[in-house]
Amino acid sequence: MTRALVYVGKSVPRDDAVEKVTGSARYTHDLAFPGMLHAALVTSPHASARIVRVDVADAAALPGVRAVLAGANLDVRLGLYMRDKRILARDVVRYQGEPVVAVAADTLDIARDACRRVRVEYEPTAAVFDPRDAMKSGAPLVHPDLGSYAHLEGVFFPRPNTNIAHHQKIRKGDFDAAIASAEVLLEARFDNPPVQHVPMETHASIAQALPDGRVEIWTSSQSPYTVRHLMSVAFGLPHAAIRVHVPYVGGGFGGKAGLNLEPLVYVLSKAAGGRPVKFVATREQEFNTLPSRQGLHSTIKIGATRAGKIVALKATYVWDAGAYADYGVNVGRAAAYSGAGPYAVPNCWIDSFVVYTNKVYGTAYRGFGHLEVLWGIERAIDQTARKLGLDPAEFRRRNLLTLGDATITGETFTAGHGKPVECLDAVAKAIDWGTPSSSPASSTKRRGKGIAMLHKAPAMPTSTSCSAIIKLDEDGAADILVSGVDYGQGTYTVLRQIAAEELRVPIDAVHINSDCDTAFTPYDWQTVASRFSYMGGHAVIEAAADCLRQIRAVAAQIFGVAPEKIVCENASAYPDGEPKRAIPYRLLALGYVYPNGNAIGGPVIGHGRFIAHGLTHLDPDTGQGRPAQFWTYGAHGVELEVDAETGEIEILRIATAVDAGKVLNAGLARGQVIGGVVQGIGSALWEGFRFDKEGRLKNPSFVDYKIPTAKDLPREMVPILLENPQPDGPYGARGVAEHPMISVPSAIGNALYDALGIEFTSLPLSPEHVLARLAEKGVKP
Amino acid sequence: MVDIELRVNGQAERASVPAGMTLLEFLRDRLALTGAKEGCGIGECGACTVLLDGRPVTACLVLAVEADGLDVRTIEGEATDGELSALQRAFVDAGAVQCGFCTPGMIMSARALLLRSPHPTDEEIVEAIAGNLCRCTGYEAILAAIRAASEEGGKL
Amino acid sequence: MLGRFEYARPKTVDEACRLLAEAGRDAAILSGGTDLLVDLRNGSRSPLLLVDVKRLEELQALRTGPDEAVIGAAVPLNVVVEHRELRKAYAGLSDAALSIATYQLRNRATVAGNLCNASPAADMAPILLVLDAKLTVQSPQGTRAVRVAKLFTGVKRTCLAPGDVVVDVRMPPLDGELRTAFRKQQRIRGHDLAVVNAAAAYAPSRATLRVAVGSCAPTPVLLEPFDTKGTSPEALAAEVLRAAAAATAPIDDVRASAAYRRAVLPALLRRLLADVVSARRAV
Repeated sequence: MTRALVYVGKSVPRDDAVEKVTGSARYTHDLAFPGMLHAALVTSPHASARIVRVDVADAAALPGVRAVLAGANLDVRLGLYMRDKRILARDVVRYQGEPVVAVAADTLDIARDACRRVRVEYEPTAAVFDPRDAMKSGAPLVHPDLGSYAHLEGVFFPRPNTNIAHHQKIRKGDFDAAIASAEVLLEARFDNPPVQHVPMETHASIAQALPDGRVEIWTSSQSPYTVRHLMSVAFGLPHAAIRVHVPYVGGGFGGKAGLNLEPLVYVLSKAAGGRPVKFVATREQEFNTLPSRQGLHSTIKIGATRAGKIVALKATYVWDAGAYADYGVNVGRAAAYSGAGPYAVPNCWIDSFVVYTNKVYGTAYRGFGHLEVLWGIERAIDQTARKLGLDPAEFRRRNLLTLGDATITGETFTAGHGKPVECLDAVAKAIDWGTPSSSPASSTKRRGKGIAMLHKAPAMPTSTSCSAIIKLDEDGAADILVSGVDYGQGTYTVLRQIAAEELRVPIDAVHINSDCDTAFTPYDWQTVASRFSYMGGHAVIEAAADCLRQIRAVAAQIFGVAPEKIVCENASAYPDGEPKRAIPYRLLALGYVYPNGNAIGGPVIGHGRFIAHGLTHLDPDTGQGRPAQFWTYGAHGVELEVDAETGEIEILRIATAVDAGKVLNAGLARGQVIGGVVQGIGSALWEGFRFDKEGRLKNPSFVDYKIPTAKDLPREMVPILLENPQPDGPYGARGVAEHPMISVPSAIGNALYDALGIEFTSLPLSPEHVLARLAEKGVKP
Repeated sequence: MVDIELRVNGQAERASVPAGMTLLEFLRDRLALTGAKEGCGIGECGACTVLLDGRPVTACLVLAVEADGLDVRTIEGEATDGELSALQRAFVDAGAVQCGFCTPGMIMSARALLLRSPHPTDEEIVEAIAGNLCRCTGYEAILAAIRAASEEGGKL
Repeated sequence: MLGRFEYARPKTVDEACRLLAEAGRDAAILSGGTDLLVDLRNGSRSPLLLVDVKRLEELQALRTGPDEAVIGAAVPLNVVVEHRELRKAYAGLSDAALSIATYQLRNRATVAGNLCNASPAADMAPILLVLDAKLTVQSPQGTRAVRVAKLFTGVKRTCLAPGDVVVDVRMPPLDGELRTAFRKQQRIRGHDLAVVNAAAAYAPSRATLRVAVGSCAPTPVLLEPFDTKGTSPEALAAEVLRAAAAATAPIDDVRASAAYRRAVLPALLRRLLADVVSARRAV
């Protein structure tokens, strides 16, 4: 018998909201410790140069300066998938903004003063900025030692003596034969610039090197255990010697995954005699020194039959990794196995190259490469539909994955994948697809509609795991311990709902630690890839079951019945059919005491775990295999208005459908959709790095890097959450956090074609970009 | 060093500060009022918004010495006797909070709006918070929260 | 910390002038601080003395009247924006003030500060140019009036000297109906610097139209007045566009290319003219 859900699915308000609205929530930015030093950086003014000489004497002599370090002092390589990065540049600098010298001092002002006294002599060397140039033979090598770098073997394939950090191949069917037989062909190129995540809290870390060799870290991170592990690898410390705390995190979006500033503050603390050292990135450093989203250049070829079936698809993805690819290689891998869109493509050929250049480096960013590849794919699908004379929605319907189809890596599409076509139909209906837009108020404006599909699976190692502990308190309430990070998504609230549901206790009696601490909260790989509710949800369900097993064992003894005859309900346990005899959890939580003083049982502590299952590495030559724990599909429908005199775009409405499997918290899910859509609009319309000829970033601040404000919202946003269950998801749920952002630019680009009849191929679709294309096409307002 | 006297959340404060110290540094480092955040340091993001004599300002672009003799109100002064204000309650109930880093500044901008216009139009709400960047929520729930709080405009 | 400097808050304008004159180029006037403090933070300016003029009584005026309108140099932009009489008389001025930065910054930033910062993109410049506004400038040598039209000498440069304190900005008396408007092209609807901005003032009774353009030359540009008598709106627009193109020389920068500025200027001007000439706001 299934019971009606009491908490799961409801809009339970997030548990940390009170702390956050009162200003009492503490972020790494806010932390201070006795004796704490402050760090500042000298960064490279050159995109590519040899470091001839570093003179830190004047800096070190400044009163209050406690440590000055340069790359020459630090022979360590860092990285998650590819160990290619230094703490501070050593021998060479590879991008403008790269840290070269670090100072720790009594105050931030002294540290900055000291940095101004550091003299670094550079000898500029040949640089390469376009990854397509970087792939040519004879291009300057960003990493001449690439062949010697440690990396995740069997998964990533760097090409020594080139700038290619990884080449991901997908080969399915016989592309050449199929494309030759295609009746309609489309070939197109697309570009995405590098962009920034822009978490409102910039990266911040504090470390203290303890006298016994241990290290304690407080960091604004998505990844407490990955930080611990990579610190262990980098410095040869046992894991137990590294303690990582993650307090509240002011946004991450992927940019705080993996290892970032933690090694820097650790080596500074060590050099400063073990005093805690804090580094907070300035907003300019957040743009110019810390990682961004990689740029992408796509070439896409689609062959279809006159009847509107795709027979072959070829894509070449050239990723602009920037100077380091420690995380970027996996973006190139994951986006490749999603690189044909959510379509049944019988013959597919994809090459995805992650290529070093002399620019600020890339990392994970919400959508993990999918916004970028689907910018190309979903625009190309529209173009192919038009070549066929088909409605773009109809063309998609004829090609979307359906039961029994094989994905491009050979996975069979099942009912458990959800229903992409329902997403398409939902957004089409929401924007009155097929009905022309009403006339704009002004004769200089044009309106149009567009649709785009999206899909994504978590990109993570095949053995990714997580765990949860639930402890019952003296009063029978439950404490959840996890090391996944809630940096805004609301997952902690979802886990509380799940625990309340499973333990049969009121939601107010379930608490969760807002700080992660690797000394006490149990293992979780890292909080990325929209997999925390899915994996953490499973772990909490299992931990709750473990608690109930312990409760039942004690209750069974008390009541003299078999444990399976014990019912747990209303925070109490009783023999089946005898609710009047219920004993509240609070009398069982620490062990039951009989009237005569005898005690049985003991503190109830449950643990649960989850590990990815059934995943395989992809075949190096064909990309075939099972990379994805689950897939989430969705679609956007956009109606927009463009001002043909200024190039400005206004989004009139955007409908977003995501097949969530099961909505665990309606309010939080809506928050993810709206937030993701607006972030996607940022990528679509305004955001992008601009570099000068020397590779210097020209817009490293909010003055010239614009993100959406409250004035920049669409007139109407329509979130639609479908619930076709994920069989192995908690309550049937699958991840939805990244997805709403993906394909927003594609839908806007498609609507822009509808409005203007112009194919836009690069982002952002800024007023200037739109007007330039209008002028080029001779379109008069 | 310059001697200053000001009121912060109704409390008299006296301090000697360097002329170059910002009001944000004074609040965070001297008074341990860390609710106001530094998101950019150049007045572009609004995370450090506080009220100076009732008007919202970005505390990163005000010197502490400029607040001499004035009344400063921060997020820490928003709840009274441990009770959330109607505005804070509305933020909680509307789901207007995600990572929370922009939230204190956002609430202070909204507070100032409701002080000068207890029943603002949507346009006024947008104008009031457009200087507060939020990367998580897409603003929709924040606008809804302020709208909801303004319906109770009388009991601020 | 925004650097090491002394801070002075003089009680009178005389005292402020004296302090500034004594310190010469080592001093800076602190009014709204929204430009100065950013410069201090990024190290592009490092004065040894800041002279805070924000509380000087003489700088707080804000009035409109039959003879003239006065905006004290220390009046925050929001106070200007919210002043009903001022909006009635000079809608374009209120709109220009409203277009600047964010609500929070407008509680600090001032009309005079926006002018004296002398950015080519200064939003207050075009409207004050078309209104032929004057600055009241006090110095140890006395008080003088400086026409806004004479203020800008280059990018971020003015004709003001150390020791000069702007006391207020004065608009000449309204002689009959005057329709004013301001338009600004930006990259995003949220707060942004102008890619191009422009203002117009049209006096129907005198058949005179004045237009100024910002962000398209090293300084904001005031075009020669246009005689609107017997000119059709279309012909007038063509004339204004021609004059604007001839008087400006946009450049490429991170905000926009010269080409975009040139392309968008005509639309901006046409809309601006529609605002004042037809007295009916265009889109």
